[in-house]
Amino acid sequence: MTNPESATSILKDLGSRIVEDIENGRFPILELLDRRTGNIVFNDHSQEFILGASHVKRNSSNSRHVRSFSQLVWVASFAKQLLLANRTSSLRDLYYSSEAFGVDFTDQSESDRVVGDLECLTGLAREELGIFPEERSSVYGKVTMRYTVSGYEGKTVDLTISPDGLPIGPALMTAEPVESDAEIVLAVESGGMFSRLIETKAWERFNAVLVQLGGQAPRATRRLMHRFHKELGLPVYVFTDGDPWGMHIARVIMCGSANSAHVRHLTIPNAKWIGVTPDDIADFSLPTESMNNADLKRLDDLSRDVRYTGKDWQRYIEEFRELRMKAEQQAFSRHGIDYVVDTYLPEKLA
Amino acid sequence: MIDRYTMTQVVSTGDFISISPSEFFYRNRQMAGFGNPTQAVYSTVRELVENSLDACEDAQKLPVIDVRIRRESSDIIQLSVSDNGTGIPEEHVPNAFGRIFYGSKYGMRQKRGTFGLGVTMAVLYGQLTTDSPVTVSTQMDEGHGLTYKIFIDVEKNEPIIESKHLSRRSGPGTDVSIRLNGDVRRAKSRIIEYLRMTAVSSPHARIILEFEDHDHLHFGGSSTTLPSPSLCTKPHPRGVDRELLRRLLADRGQKSLIEFLIDSFQQVGDRTARRFLRFMALDPKIRADSLTREDLSRLSNTLRRFDGFSRPDSRCLSPIGEFAFKEAVSAEFGVDVLTYAKQGPLEWEGHPLLIEGVIATDNGASQSEIPSLHRFANKVPLLYDASEGVLMKTLRKVTWSRYEVEKSKTVSLFVNVCSTRIPYIAAGKHSIASSTQIEDGALSLFRELGRQLGKSAVKSSQSKRNARRMREFTRSFKIIAKFSAELANRATPPSTVGLVKSLFEVDDHD
Repeated sequence: MTNPESATSILKDLGSRIVEDIENGRFPILELLDRRTGNIVFNDHSQEFILGASHVKRNSSNSRHVRSFSQLVWVASFAKQLLLANRTSSLRDLYYSSEAFGVDFTDQSESDRVVGDLECLTGLAREELGIFPEERSSVYGKVTMRYTVSGYEGKTVDLTISPDGLPIGPALMTAEPVESDAEIVLAVESGGMFSRLIETKAWERFNAVLVQLGGQAPRATRRLMHRFHKELGLPVYVFTDGDPWGMHIARVIMCGSANSAHVRHLTIPNAKWIGVTPDDIADFSLPTESMNNADLKRLDDLSRDVRYTGKDWQRYIEEFRELRMKAEQQAFSRHGIDYVVDTYLPEKLA
Repeated sequence: MIDRYTMTQVVSTGDFISISPSEFFYRNRQMAGFGNPTQAVYSTVRELVENSLDACEDAQKLPVIDVRIRRESSDIIQLSVSDNGTGIPEEHVPNAFGRIFYGSKYGMRQKRGTFGLGVTMAVLYGQLTTDSPVTVSTQMDEGHGLTYKIFIDVEKNEPIIESKHLSRRSGPGTDVSIRLNGDVRRAKSRIIEYLRMTAVSSPHARIILEFEDHDHLHFGGSSTTLPSPSLCTKPHPRGVDRELLRRLLADRGQKSLIEFLIDSFQQVGDRTARRFLRFMALDPKIRADSLTREDLSRLSNTLRRFDGFSRPDSRCLSPIGEFAFKEAVSAEFGVDVLTYAKQGPLEWEGHPLLIEGVIATDNGASQSEIPSLHRFANKVPLLYDASEGVLMKTLRKVTWSRYEVEKSKTVSLFVNVCSTRIPYIAAGKHSIASSTQIEDGALSLFRELGRQLGKSAVKSSQSKRNARRMREFTRSFKIIAKFSAELANRATPPSTVGLVKSLFEVDDHD
């Protein structure tokens, strides 16, 4: 991660360039990586989404650009203040703060988009600028981390400290792994499954660091998993619901999303989706629900998605289509509450 | 006098009743605009004011017209109008006010009043409802003036001079006072509306309206330029009918046919007259009044159809004119006047025709899909029966939605039809009857004005958009300057005024 000092200096340079242009009677123009879908390419080698070479301009003399240009400058200055004060802000906080500065956003999706612009402009991920999404996922397991955030520098935390798991916020995201007895990372989709695995001491049994994703994983969570994988050498397993949405949560962890294509160090190409696969639904005679239209349409979309060109993925999609059924993680409970820990996971993680 | 009128009816008991024009018009008074006491007050003001305006135009003076209305009892009023016009020659006064259809001018020239019918109608109405004579004081120069009191002999259609004495006015001009049965309370708003519209079509006139010696209202005066004087022209041959021909022959029938034609009509010179007579196979040298009834009938028909006459001279017309019209509409209504347009001179039935109009917008959403229409004929405001008139009918034929009128604007149209002959629907002069030429002219005029309206709507939305853009730029650049300075650790933000201005200076030049 870029340290706050160099991030601040990148922002300062940006400001200086704009001020000089204005003082010289020139309309400042910013050039940033184009993150429109047309410029997002799948890198076969690294098995992840990255941005292509195309750039877009924000020309302050253009009436269609001038507003977003001003928003961009404000977000940059807001980020600089955060970095200088060692503070963080959620995307939502940023949206509401804008009013106090006389900057106007139509809605939060607009301010989120401008934050994305700043990332593409500076090459810094928003987390490096102290800006985080609202949603938090959690982590639990035999890893010790050392904080780097101000006020906690050098303090360590054992990720088993709370039986509820530790929320993955800015502090944990920037912390460094010190030591670990874990052998795998097991990411699960739902909070219910996460709690079950903690309570049943499954983490001990499988020597796993447990990560609760809560739907699509936030970047901070993906980054933490990426670190566990790279720095501690832990293989990553992803356990989601048995439907196209769950499958895609796993796939994004592996090879990234269009929304984060401009940010590096997030993807884990070697991660493994253990289920619930279409085969699992039959093999474990899980109770199912019929797929609705949205589910079926999602399957159609995924079948055309570059991330699913692999033979195995196409097979999963085909099987879901034939089955027209889906099953949640919790469905294993029909065989008894501990069935998933005693029977399913050992088989899958073997 | 009322007795005399009823007696007339009793006397006329034969199978065929012969009545004088005075009687005829009294019986059909609603047709002339004197149907009830409210109408009567309004029409009297109208007729007198229009006469005064015509008189001042003849004198080439800026009109100052004073209208005074006093109530004597609940339904009897005294109505006086004075002007600073030419005054009326002594010998004409009795006939001008005491005889219907006085005035035998052959000359063609745009006037407000048509045949002096209106004023005598007002005199007649006053006489029959209050048994009072009309009082006329007139003075032609700085010397002395005369005051007449005149009745109309309804049966004989002749003036009866009740009294005549020397009097002095402060200068040339005419005062006319009529006592009549009238409803001022209900007529007041009509009169005010009429004078306000008169101020639009005759903006060089200053008109003061006094009710009961207090309550003074002032109208007009937005222009101090006299309208260019119109020329008196001879009739055009295509405008001829049997009656006109008969009168002309009575006047100059002893001349040779060719001389008669050249003398009587415009656009007829020696060559044209000869060609015409050759076409009709008539001898140019015979006396005009030697023509037989049949020949006369053929002559009047052929005059109307012969295509060898040039178009009628339009110098006898006196339009309001672009500058005065636009100024007046904006002065009286406080609206945004967009543009002026005119159609013509055109011709209709041997008369020159010119239609001019002004289109204006005002803020405030309109309920109507078509513009509100304000009509004038020879500068006389037409306030009633709009829906029957040719102008309103034509207005509805225009697809106004095509001109993309802004929703937040009310559109007003002011249209003046000028001609030596206006085909009014009735003698009350409230609306113009349909005629192909007027309709076609009005349609072209409305479309022209509509196009201008559309253009200006585009322009105004462009300038609005520009203003909005400039605000947006100013605002955005304040933010950019402030926060880029913060980023760059500068104490003060750079000035952005020049930069934003430079962006819009370019736009100003197009």
